[in-house]
Amino acid sequence: MTEVALRFSGAIRRNAPSPLLSLALIPMAIIFVLVLVMFWISLQKGVFGTPSAIYTLGNYRDVFTDPLLYRVITNTLIFTVTTTLCAMLFGLPIAWLAERSTIPGKTLIYVIMTLGLLIPGIYTAMGWTMLAHPRIGIINRWLVEWFALDAGPINIATPIGMGFVQGLSLSALAFILTAQMFRAMNPSLEEAARVHGMGYNKILWRVTLPLARPGILAAVIYILTIGVATFDIPAILGLGNRVYMLSTFIYLKVHPQGAGLPEYGITGVVGAFMIIVAGLLTLWYGQVLRQGHRFEVVTGKGYRPALIPLGKWSIAAWGFIALYAFISKIVPLLLIAYAALTPYFVTPSYEMMRQLSFGHFYGMDWQLVMRGLTNTALLVFVVPLAVLLLAFSLSWLIVRSPSRLRYALEFGAFLPQALPEVILSIGALLLSLFVLGTTIPLYGTVWLIAIVYVIARLAFATRALNGALLQIHRELEEAAFVAGLSNLRTAWRILFPLIRPTLFSVWIWSALLVYRELTAAVFLAVHDNITLPAVIWSYWYGGNINKASAVTLLMTLVLAPFIFIAWYFGRRSQVSLN
Amino acid sequence: MLATKLFALMIAVFILAAQARAATLAEVIEGAKKEGSIRGQWGQNSFGGSEGFQEILAGMNKKYKLNLKGQYTPGPDMQRLMLRVIQEAAAGQPASTDVYLGNSQAIFDGLKANLFANTTYDKFIENKPKPEGKFHAIAPAGTHVAFATTVVGIQYNANLVKGSDVPRRMADVLNPKWKGKIASTPYAAGLREFATPDFLGREKMIDYTRKLSKQIAGLMRCGESERITSGEFLMLVFTCGGNDVNVLKRTGAPIGHTVVEEGTVLHMRYAAIPKNSRAPNIAALLVNYLMSAEGQEMLWKYDGMDLHLFPGSQTKRELDALRAAKGKIVTSSPEWLASSKGYAETQKELEAILREGGK
Repeated sequence: MTEVALRFSGAIRRNAPSPLLSLALIPMAIIFVLVLVMFWISLQKGVFGTPSAIYTLGNYRDVFTDPLLYRVITNTLIFTVTTTLCAMLFGLPIAWLAERSTIPGKTLIYVIMTLGLLIPGIYTAMGWTMLAHPRIGIINRWLVEWFALDAGPINIATPIGMGFVQGLSLSALAFILTAQMFRAMNPSLEEAARVHGMGYNKILWRVTLPLARPGILAAVIYILTIGVATFDIPAILGLGNRVYMLSTFIYLKVHPQGAGLPEYGITGVVGAFMIIVAGLLTLWYGQVLRQGHRFEVVTGKGYRPALIPLGKWSIAAWGFIALYAFISKIVPLLLIAYAALTPYFVTPSYEMMRQLSFGHFYGMDWQLVMRGLTNTALLVFVVPLAVLLLAFSLSWLIVRSPSRLRYALEFGAFLPQALPEVILSIGALLLSLFVLGTTIPLYGTVWLIAIVYVIARLAFATRALNGALLQIHRELEEAAFVAGLSNLRTAWRILFPLIRPTLFSVWIWSALLVYRELTAAVFLAVHDNITLPAVIWSYWYGGNINKASAVTLLMTLVLAPFIFIAWYFGRRSQVSLN
Repeated sequence: MLATKLFALMIAVFILAAQARAATLAEVIEGAKKEGSIRGQWGQNSFGGSEGFQEILAGMNKKYKLNLKGQYTPGPDMQRLMLRVIQEAAAGQPASTDVYLGNSQAIFDGLKANLFANTTYDKFIENKPKPEGKFHAIAPAGTHVAFATTVVGIQYNANLVKGSDVPRRMADVLNPKWKGKIASTPYAAGLREFATPDFLGREKMIDYTRKLSKQIAGLMRCGESERITSGEFLMLVFTCGGNDVNVLKRTGAPIGHTVVEEGTVLHMRYAAIPKNSRAPNIAALLVNYLMSAEGQEMLWKYDGMDLHLFPGSQTKRELDALRAAKGKIVTSSPEWLASSKGYAETQKELEAILREGGK
């Protein structure tokens, strides 16, 4: 009888439209419009919105007949694969250590991984220039001196070198995307394997990793798409050495600098190409989702996560984490502090250390900094809440709905991730200027930036929530439905408590990603809506790395304690839930 | 008797002229009072950035006895800002910046889009420079005003490039000792101007750029001086102007700027008032201020540049030395760009050569 009731309730549930659908369709509509604008831009040359604009396929011809393009694609592939491998190499084991082992100091691990988001990518790139640049890198200079070499053997300015640096900075994302998956994993399967005499290595390869596969693949796909579009590392390390990625190729095309106005049609063409890439990646991910029920481990029956004892291996584990922290966080932070306190930027030396001062802090335009900080604070508060609400609606439909519409939702949620953010920004800019105009006066406001941020962060949030929801068996919701709860109450009373750690992680990571977000902020900044990262960027781009570093250092020191507090209370609530 | 009549005539002319000038400037000042505040947007590396804006505002308030308010927001590069203002005008929105300050290429693009208000600069600018040949700082049509000059040359690390190593001629940077140690810009700054018929010509510069492209280690933007001071690159061939070096040298940074014997290009900086400016009178007053002695001093202090047409100009001294050495000087202005056929195409070709390593 119970089984019949469950099947019947499942049938009713499947056939009734979910109220979450209305929420999920809001971002889908915005994404659809922005993609249309992107195609429209791709077919125009000249200044959009003025009589000089003409319709043409010339942008497609310019891009696909550029002999540089094929070298760019090759470089980008190598760079992206290296980025992903490096990010997973650090992020995945650290996530496993933080969630599935008895390693001490787990809150500190979360703080270390999160702190990196406060550091703009430009400093990571500059730090590695100081370390491993073929001409001025300190490591190369030591090696040349010690081994009497003709030239430094390490060259960070190659697709593999840049991929390594980018991977370091994206390890934090790999960490957070896989940590929640490990947290929700039922260890009873691993225990059963141990009872049958399997060693830890075999358990890892035969049980743990297969169970973790959807979450790992979600992280891999997400990081792959970031790697394709990322700009800061390729610009600092690659552009200066004529090693081009797709992002710097676009940059050169749309920043003619001295021979006419920027033409955004090129970005539209690249966006069109990236939609195909996004489609292929979504198909791949969709296959993983279809088999997702095999990985459901949080059920109505007893769920009790157990931890793998590390014993003396804790020391080696912390050694690994410390090494990662040093090369990815401490080196850039030291560089930021150095640049903030020296009068001008040269390679660190004893002479420069004697010239340290707070001069750049006194000469700062604090009114401008506070304007940026106010806008950023507002965005950090509003955007993650909107992201959580919309992403939960999308993820629930993607993971639970039997309708084929879920594939479209999955593709739509992922699409902004695949498109370079400059394309979303251009689309939003032109929409607000020429379509919404003064009727809906979004142009030049912080709300326009908020909308772009929410759209851009959906892919990350849905990835994380998909992984968490996949781990929860449907029978919990079906039992709730049989008991008379509506979808919304089921979500609130059953699902939210179970995925609370994931919700908290998504909230804090979204907040930090919003804090450091740059592309849209720079593009859409007019006057009143400038954000703090845009202020920092304006100093750096304007050649004043010292002032940029001063602001960054101050904000990092101010925010670091808050991050620690947030993770401390967040993880305590997770422990009490368990 | 005759002397008396002449004197009276002079007084009359002076009074009339004073009334006309004062009346026009007075109208601008009155208009500025009503407007009350101005929004300015340009890059942090231009015209002193936010500090420069505050200085200009304070200077205007002091000089014209006003209490104007202002808000500065760092903007994108000059081309992108011009594009934005053009699109804002097309969409019926107020301009992001009430006064546009930028380079000759951006002004040229703005003129093509019919963006600028025709302003009677000639009537109210108090400190008017004399024309230099065909070059007029104040455009006869009243659309734009040149207020500063930067001189294109080679930037170098003064600790690592010294004495006879400092390049004097274009060919000096092709010395094998610099191979893999110097940089150029992704937009062929300097090279594109040298390729015009007024200078060395297209074929010669294409050939030179191919050799330079094989010589350089990579590309960097103008304004990324830390890549020179850090030693990542020993030289930048060529700069967008030596003004940032003028400022950096005062901090003790190991950086220098030199002009080659073949000549140089003067990259002018212009002011113009968009038609969709919210505060055209304050904008006009700002332009007047930039042309004043105080404004020129402020520009030199914050941005290492001033207008070479004024006697006593710091930039003029540098140019006088070059003229004495018989170097060629070309002024890059919107009018000059309009007359340079094939300029944009040649630039694209040079950019491609630099990007692809001289192939």
